[in-house]
Amino acid sequence: MKFLKLPANNLPEFILNLRKIGEVHIPIKKGEKSFVFRKMNKPQDISLMQLDYSRTILPLKKYFYHPTETMFEFSRDGFVQPEKPPEVHDIIFGVHACDIHGVLTLDLVFSGKYRDEYYFQRRKNISLIGLSCMPDEFCFCNSMATDYVDTGFDLFFSEIPEAYLVRVGTSKGDDMLNLSRELFEEITHKDINAHKDYSITRKKAFKRSLDIRNLPEIMDLEYESNLWDELGKRCTSCGTCSMVCPTCYCYRIFDDISLDMESGRRRRQWDCCLFRDHAMVAGRHNFRQSRADRFKHRWLHKQQSFAGVFGRPSCVGCGRCIEDCPAKIDIITESNKIQGE
Amino acid sequence: MPKPRIGIYGLTSCAGDQLTILNCEDEILEIASRVDIKSFCLAQTGNEETKLDIALVEGTVSTQKDLERLREIRGRASILVAMGTCACWGGMYTMRNDISRTELLKGVYGENGDKYFDSLPAQPLKNFVKVDLPITGCPIEKKWFLRIFKAFLHGDIIEVPNFSLCSECKLKENECLLVNRGIFCLGPITLAGCKARCPSHNIPCIGCHGPVDEANYAAEVNILLDKEYTLEEIKRKMGFFVFNPDIKQRQ
Ligand code: SF4
Ligand code: SF4
Ligand code: SF4
Ligand code: SF4
Repeated sequence: MKFLKLPANNLPEFILNLRKIGEVHIPIKKGEKSFVFRKMNKPQDISLMQLDYSRTILPLKKYFYHPTETMFEFSRDGFVQPEKPPEVHDIIFGVHACDIHGVLTLDLVFSGKYRDEYYFQRRKNISLIGLSCMPDEFCFCNSMATDYVDTGFDLFFSEIPEAYLVRVGTSKGDDMLNLSRELFEEITHKDINAHKDYSITRKKAFKRSLDIRNLPEIMDLEYESNLWDELGKRCTSCGTCSMVCPTCYCYRIFDDISLDMESGRRRRQWDCCLFRDHAMVAGRHNFRQSRADRFKHRWLHKQQSFAGVFGRPSCVGCGRCIEDCPAKIDIITESNKIQGE
Repeated sequence: MPKPRIGIYGLTSCAGDQLTILNCEDEILEIASRVDIKSFCLAQTGNEETKLDIALVEGTVSTQKDLERLREIRGRASILVAMGTCACWGGMYTMRNDISRTELLKGVYGENGDKYFDSLPAQPLKNFVKVDLPITGCPIEKKWFLRIFKAFLHGDIIEVPNFSLCSECKLKENECLLVNRGIFCLGPITLAGCKARCPSHNIPCIGCHGPVDEANYAAEVNILLDKEYTLEEIKRKMGFFVFNPDIKQRQ
């Protein structure tokens, strides 16, 4: 892999140059203490960029797996795909390692036996530029082994004093770098040491930890635990945890009939297994009737059953569900509890 | 196939839901051409009180007259739709059900106030008659009214959002008023459908869309107590739309 150094002062210019080849999205502040990825509409928007943001409200999935989308339009004559908007190259700058892992997880899911073209038709046009970060009180990516990435990014920016150590992940990334080649410098051994120091400081900065090695097994053994009922009582089924989760991918499908009664649109929308109707089938039979059952399902899917299929949990330790849960349900505390700690 | 015969009625209410139907300006002519509107006092004269395929009823039962009218409408309608949060849940009209009608009437209309009106404690339609379909909202959302109306005409299963407002709020990427700012928000127990209109403008949800199915009131109360709101305040604010002690879960 190729490494170069970008002096911090050159970062704005590098980002502005990216606008020559695509739409650039950056993390900006929303509300009093939250963040979102937003498109830069004009060069001045660069002043809104928050390089030390904690996490965005919605993860990257919003870009290629839209919260609501039309799958096709139908009429008596058959069905047609909705007209595609012109393809744009979206470059998302400032993505943390856990969120890149989140995208890789979704790639895995949507490329399975039934490849989801709706997803990949957008995904293929999106470039990710990673950015190193310091954990806050909700982060536990180190426990989930998602605190570093080796793939899934086009470029990755790691902070070192007054500069960034830039790692090139793909040829697309190399092209992006070459747009501003003169802004970059060769790295020195001092930079490598600075990078290693950052890494050590970061490792020590994690305040939370979860041992996932035996978690799937213990969760399986504790399938009948009372803990699920307790948590079911605390949870409001508000769905926040799934909406904000980088790796929740469930959707519901519905038809929106037109008033002419002859045509309509088939649409899909993000869903959540904590909603009462998620496992409801014909005859109103519900496979997960109680909230406790639904709660258990979500946690098992994140930490246990997903691991059974894909070899690792789907949770990437981003901390969103912990920070955002109105009931303060904390996946680490409760998992530790179930492990008997 | 003959056009379905429709009647649109209001009991004790503000007519907001009926107005929402009239506000479907782009669709109203098409709607009118697909159904036979037998009765709609707010919009037409020459109403005919006859057998109906669908009756849409807005408002609460708050007088003996309301109750008689509701039973009479139910008697000649194949499908009865409760339209609006009041018709579905009682809404704001039930806020003072803890005080006796006599006391309320005297308080508002003077010493003899209770002699002039046949006031009853306000109640939703389902407490008296079978409701086939609820469409909540204060007022109802145009989008959902149309979606349900179209599904009905098409003979589809009628699907309405059945999850809480927070999900819609998250999709708007709003900063959470409750979690991030400690503001009293009823999103977690309120039915989605409004696309988080209020939280998107930094105004907390007061629950006007009515409670979500199996709303976890106890959990919401605990969340708010934890943020140091008093039980009294919680009861008062929840009582506005969402919570009243005799709420029964939607069928
Ligand atoms: S389960 Fe929670 S911590 Fe894990 S990836 Fe999803 S939102 Fe992040
Ligand atoms: S946790 Fe629930 S909502 Fe998320 S992907 Fe799994 S089943 Fe779907
Ligand atoms: S965010 Fe919390 S309260 Fe809401 S559904 Fe998830 S666990 Fe339940
Ligand atoms: S602001 Fe209110 S409606 Fe929005 S997510 Fe927070 S609690 Fe839910």
